[in-house]
Amino acid sequence: MPDLRIDATVNGRAISRPAKPWQRLLDFLRDDLNLTGNKEGCGAGECGTCSVFLDGVLVKSCLVPVAKAQNARVETIESLGRAGALSVLQRAFHKAGASQCGYCIPGMVMAGTAALRANPLAGREEIRERLGGNICRCTGYQKILDAVELTRDVGNGTLPESALAEEEPADGRFIGANVRRLDAPSKVSGALKYAADMTMPGMLHVQVLRSPHPHARIVSIDTAGAQAMPGVAGVVMADDVPGIDGFGVFVNDQPVLARGKVRYVGDAIVAVAAEDELTARRALDHVTVVYDPLPAVFDPREAMRPGAPVIHDDAPDNITKHIPIRVGDVESGFARSDLIVTQTYSTQAIEHAYLEPEAGLGYVDPDGVVTIISPSQNITHHRHMLARILALPINRVRFIMSPVGGGFGGKEDMIYQGILALLAIKTGRPVRYVFTREESIIATAKRHPSRTTLKMGLTRDGRICAVEFRMISDGGAYGLSTEGVMRKAAILGAGPYNIANLRMDTYGVYTNNTPSGAFRSFGALQTQFATESHLDICAEKLGLDPFAIRRVNAMRDGAVTHTKQTLGSVSLMRALAAAEEAARWEAGPPSSRGATRHDLGGAGNRAPCTLGARFAAAEHAAQPEKVA
Amino acid sequence: MLYCDAYLTPRSLADAFTAMAEYRGRYRLVAGATDTLPWARAGRAGDVAIPALIDVSAIPELRERRVDATRVRIGAATPMQRFLDDGDLARAMPVMARCAVWFADDQIRAAATVGGNLVNASPAADATPPLLAHDAQVELACAREGKITRRRMALGDFVRGPGKTALEADEILLAIECAALPGYGAEFEKVGHRRSLVIATVCLAAVVRLDAAHAIADLRLAVGGVGPVPCRLHESENFLRGGAATLARLEEAAHMTVGLVQSRTRHDYRRDVLHGFVVRGLASALRRAGGASPPVGELEASHA
Amino acid sequence: MARRRGRGMAACWYGIARTATVDRAAAWAEIDDGGTAKIATGVTEIGEGILTVLAQIAAEELGIRPQDVTIGDNDTARAPEAAHAGATRQTYMIGNAVALAARQARAQLVDVVASQWGVAANLVETANGEVFARKTNHRMPMGDAVSLCKSRGVVPVGAASFGTDTTGLDPVDGSGRPWQAYVFGCQVAEVEVDTLTGEVQVLGVWAVHDVGRAVNPRGVEGQIEGGIVQALGQALMEDYRIENGRTTTPGLAKYILPTALDVPHVTSVILEDRDPIGPLGVKGIGEPAMVPTIPAVMNAIYDAVGARITALPATPERVLEAIKERERASRHRAAAE
Repeated sequence: MPDLRIDATVNGRAISRPAKPWQRLLDFLRDDLNLTGNKEGCGAGECGTCSVFLDGVLVKSCLVPVAKAQNARVETIESLGRAGALSVLQRAFHKAGASQCGYCIPGMVMAGTAALRANPLAGREEIRERLGGNICRCTGYQKILDAVELTRDVGNGTLPESALAEEEPADGRFIGANVRRLDAPSKVSGALKYAADMTMPGMLHVQVLRSPHPHARIVSIDTAGAQAMPGVAGVVMADDVPGIDGFGVFVNDQPVLARGKVRYVGDAIVAVAAEDELTARRALDHVTVVYDPLPAVFDPREAMRPGAPVIHDDAPDNITKHIPIRVGDVESGFARSDLIVTQTYSTQAIEHAYLEPEAGLGYVDPDGVVTIISPSQNITHHRHMLARILALPINRVRFIMSPVGGGFGGKEDMIYQGILALLAIKTGRPVRYVFTREESIIATAKRHPSRTTLKMGLTRDGRICAVEFRMISDGGAYGLSTEGVMRKAAILGAGPYNIANLRMDTYGVYTNNTPSGAFRSFGALQTQFATESHLDICAEKLGLDPFAIRRVNAMRDGAVTHTKQTLGSVSLMRALAAAEEAARWEAGPPSSRGATRHDLGGAGNRAPCTLGARFAAAEHAAQPEKVA
Repeated sequence: MLYCDAYLTPRSLADAFTAMAEYRGRYRLVAGATDTLPWARAGRAGDVAIPALIDVSAIPELRERRVDATRVRIGAATPMQRFLDDGDLARAMPVMARCAVWFADDQIRAAATVGGNLVNASPAADATPPLLAHDAQVELACAREGKITRRRMALGDFVRGPGKTALEADEILLAIECAALPGYGAEFEKVGHRRSLVIATVCLAAVVRLDAAHAIADLRLAVGGVGPVPCRLHESENFLRGGAATLARLEEAAHMTVGLVQSRTRHDYRRDVLHGFVVRGLASALRRAGGASPPVGELEASHA
Repeated sequence: MARRRGRGMAACWYGIARTATVDRAAAWAEIDDGGTAKIATGVTEIGEGILTVLAQIAAEELGIRPQDVTIGDNDTARAPEAAHAGATRQTYMIGNAVALAARQARAQLVDVVASQWGVAANLVETANGEVFARKTNHRMPMGDAVSLCKSRGVVPVGAASFGTDTTGLDPVDGSGRPWQAYVFGCQVAEVEVDTLTGEVQVLGVWAVHDVGRAVNPRGVEGQIEGGIVQALGQALMEDYRIENGRTTTPGLAKYILPTALDVPHVTSVILEDRDPIGPLGVKGIGEPAMVPTIPAVMNAIYDAVGARITALPATPERVLEAIKERERASRHRAAAE
């Protein structure tokens, strides 16, 4: 069957080009027409980074077979405006601070444009609904909604166009001023190139074979079939690493490609570079890996037991890191307590879900410098590790940061940059590797799931006498940031309170689950969830207001922390007072008094979401005006 | 990824059947394609190669729309968003409009078709309960011995189980016909883990008409997510039909659904939610059907 | 089957920059032709707005506008080390390094101008794109000052690094000085719980955070709003599931994230308790913003319906089960009395 020929109008220009019958409109726009403003975030219609207008109707172009664009009118983000000539909505995004990493923003701008085209007077709740197909992971949506409302109000004349302009600080001081983001015009217009938007002459495409087993010895790898395929330029595996293999934020326990065994489902084993992505993908089907499955362990408590399967030979107890903190004597503290409460808390694994899946390019420059372009959160450390892996002097390795489409800690790990380097060296050509969303989910780190047992003893007036805190965390198959996460969890876990007697233990444990790693709030989130829940449980039992019990124990200026560090100024008491005031908090014990409290429903709340804001708007519009 | 050697867009029913015959056993029909493309990805079907994709969305019979005072006929390739944006359709099928606003999101609704939702036969398909409430019939077509023949059946007979329908391998779902229910009060209740782009754990369609005395003249209730196929709640309907709309009677009608939940996962949760949805969904539908609705006030008072 | 509201609160603390190790960052600054500026540093913009923050800092120090500052790309072959994007460290570490580097560059320029004018260097100020000497009529555009420097054989540049005075932890009792700057915060959450379905909607969050000094308040709000919504995802819906080592949430259809329909209104209150060590007084906001949200929401759910959720996420099923458990327990108590 011959290729399709697509005749369409794209951003006002007639085009006529061949296309593969299986191509999606997104591929056609990005790969064939170089319109990379709209992104691929998930490939499954779940995120909206690829939203474009098709005959004036907003659609997710990852769900549109390219044949549906036949004779159609397509508008991408590039049609709306460009730096210096932005649309009102793009200017409003700039003004409102609606873009952060920017990866979702082209889709958001399209969705906001569509919402106001559908109803130029849409209220905030209706705008929310009309933006409901677009995920943003950075902003919390508030400033995006502000921007769409600002556009509406400028559009209908409620606000002057000057509302979109920069506010110059009157005193000429820029620290403390709401300066508009300098990078916003490039993000709201889709002009900014992320790694997956970049190409290089002669570039090859990379695909990676990943383990289907959680724990297995690799008996043999046969890549001959893949090597022989036309279009395949290079195949690499662990044997191709010239230096000391291994990376990690704290311990270098993860090989670039699985060495001798696999430790989780998704462990990279073999990487292929080929002339196009489809060939590279098909080449993986011609790699044969023989596995000898090993007993696996998925629960960190089981992994800590004697006799559990050992995941890394240098950690026979499977403990990646244990951090102890000891203050005073907890037994005497509990003995003095009027109330002792013990409770277990658990938190789940969380995916970073940055809208930009991992992507990067690698090449060897004319001077022989191995160069990696990727959205890495830590190019300094990556350069150190890669130089050792490649056995090159450190200035023969160069990392260039591409715009990061969201990180949250998940792009601190050097998960794929080593693969790019090996293939660039092997093929002598530039290579690019773009993860699918599914690959990003299966292969990269998560927030540590945790299980915490917290025992707290207090006096009748709410003073904490003793805390025993034990957290066990699933670190998964490799160390990554587990050590640091356990450390921060231990230091901060008992909260900003004066605790004379503390026994704190945090354990990070190897299992055969997806590795856990750095994630915004890094252990402090899991532990302080436990402590702050626990304080409310204790406050109810003691009949104390939640603010009051925290004030009784709050660190103040000059406090000594649980690691015996003397602090200077401590702003906690100010923060408590400011929150109480801002929320107009009605004091009382946390005894499920929601039904009787008087501080509910005031300013600062949104209207509860009951789907169908557009019905309400339509019903309102349909009502005849009342005559006085 | 979904790979194909040919992507065909027949412009007539006859052309579609020709293509289906040519690629017999080696094609897949698509309309909106919003389910097919995500299906062929890692974690689901993985990479899939199909010789031909046959896109039926351009066939005129699948794009029909006829609405009069008593009947509605809509082509199977009608996008879900149409039930929201097309005023006549929204008036004739008030519960479909309420359902559509919960269906995926604005953009997917613009492409996803009502027929696609039916033939996928998900136990939690959003569009099926409202169409069951409308006593919808489906019209199927095939070309056998050179002749295009059509057959009809009730939607309840068409959906046979998870992913299973009465559609034969050589058939196309052409259209959906159902009663128009203008003036009915409608509600669509749905719960998942968020409010947009979400698969229902339980969903419920309720439509009600009141008589002059504010008794329930007609009502239809249908539920999805609680068993292998969405279904009508006939026992509850029969109990309520013709009677007064009091909270006590709604509660009693809801109680009749207790044994209905067949899903093994989250069984108790689904049972409780279904019970609650019957009461609350009906109360909302009653309010929309005729102004002052005693159960709503009672419901609010009883839980204040 | 009512919808019930409740409120909860939680406090937090957090350390700024790398933990229990010495942190460091460097920057180079040049006052460039036309009165613009060039900054080179290993900064990693991950969406938080650090490039704008650094441009504001350089602009303030040099007396020019942020849009006249160019921040070079982060490239290990072209920029000095500023370490990683994480640990709520970039404004603190790199911001202070840029301020110090800019001050050096400015001092070079001021020396040349002061000698040209024959005034003491400490009388020379830079502001609004101009250089002037207090108590005199001397005044010239920054661009002319740069030309003057170059005519004297001087390119006004500066280079600086900023490091922390911190230690590791004792392996036995954990004592040590992990950070030199700490921040504190507190959030209140208001929720509505649907007692029919167990669904929780967070309607409002009031968030107070000490950031040291807000360089860009709107950017700080963006971090607070985004952090709260990320935490809310973990609180209510997100759940990476794995069974026998294989995920059952392989894509974004199964791994559920909050959409614009699911998020509260956030009221941010910025506290400024300046850091006494760094030259700017800044601290940070990226990570602490999301720390109190989850317990505040769980405490609010308890306030609304008496259900204590200790295992995340608080899905509708879990919340409804907890409500029923509480009803059973209270019936049991009533029967026993």
